[in-house]
Amino acid sequence: MVVAHDVKNIDGMLLAPSGCQLSERQINILQAWGVTEVEVEAGEEMAKAHDPLSQLPPATLAQITADLRGRFWKPDDFGPVPAQIYKLMLLRQAQRILHPPS
Amino acid sequence: MTNPPSIKAMVQAVPRSLGSYGPVLEEIERALESPQCNLSTIGDAIQKDPDLTARLLRLANSPFFGFANRLSTVAEAVSLLGIQQIQDMIVASSVLEQFKGVPDKFVNKDSFWRHSLAVGLTARLLAMERRLPKPDKFFVAGLLHDVGRLVLLSQAAEWAQAVFELYQHERMLLRDAEKKILGYDHQQIAAELLQSWSYPPVLVQAVAFHHTPAQSAAKLETAVVHIADHLVNAMGIGSSGEQFIPPLDDRAWTALGLDPEILPKIIEAVDIQILAVEEAFLKKGTDGRV
Repeated sequence: MVVAHDVKNIDGMLLAPSGCQLSERQINILQAWGVTEVEVEAGEEMAKAHDPLSQLPPATLAQITADLRGRFWKPDDFGPVPAQIYKLMLLRQAQRILHPPS
Repeated sequence: MTNPPSIKAMVQAVPRSLGSYGPVLEEIERALESPQCNLSTIGDAIQKDPDLTARLLRLANSPFFGFANRLSTVAEAVSLLGIQQIQDMIVASSVLEQFKGVPDKFVNKDSFWRHSLAVGLTARLLAMERRLPKPDKFFVAGLLHDVGRLVLLSQAAEWAQAVFELYQHERMLLRDAEKKILGYDHQQIAAELLQSWSYPPVLVQAVAFHHTPAQSAAKLETAVVHIADHLVNAMGIGSSGEQFIPPLDDRAWTALGLDPEILPKIIEAVDIQILAVEEAFLKKGTDGRV
């Protein structure tokens, strides 16, 4: 696990700098200082687990992408906000396939 | 077919009655004019209509308003929601009722109202996020933004058929098919209708230019309805007959002045609230009213 932000004690003393790899020994030291939570960087696997698009079978992803693109009027002329809306809609559709609304 | 009907002629043919909710609205207006008016007088007027009472309480207790405590009486609902908001909701219900006879041939009415309600609640959420005064006015504007299409379907069925036949054969936006066949579009019909109903000019502008916000004299208000319509079309909640997601004018987003980072929050809130709003407005009442 890689520390995402500097971890300091109550007096501001640096206990673990951002980017350092956490070993079991370092975790014990942090616990001794009373640190109960540390933010760590998401690993590739964890990031993938949280990305609904990467969880879909490629054929399904291709299908929902084509369907959504076909519904937008002139998708090649997108400005920045419509491009963001398009991305959000793709994620929403993927979420709905993975976790259908009750 | 000769010439298409004029917008004025179509609008004049729409009945002016507020449907079966008319008497309640009139009673509320009378009560408001009376010096003895208080919340319980308004509550009494509403309670004479059991179906309206049930709808009001359903909506008041839904995530649309998000009150922590359950409201059990109309008087409580009136005091928390405000009289103006109650009037807006009754007017919205009455418009739904007014067009219930429109045939489903080209546009499924349930789907039409689902789309309209979703645009209404999205417009309200955007207005709240932007801290605009009276966000519930935006609910009404969103709800009625496509009402011009219902006027066309109910008052000029043959012309509506010509529009939809063209639309089914050529790749184009439905609004462009309207303009090609009729020489005008549903925005202009709605504007004429709402003007004839004495709706506030800002609301008329927001509806009249919801596809062309740059032409509106009320740019901010129109931007809200324009963006709400785009979002709801993209989310695929109901349809007013258009199968494409009409383009979003980036200038409207700039006019609104919100950070695009708020979009996921708005989309999530719409998904949660639409069920409650549909339940309140579209579920048939005990007397069969929509």
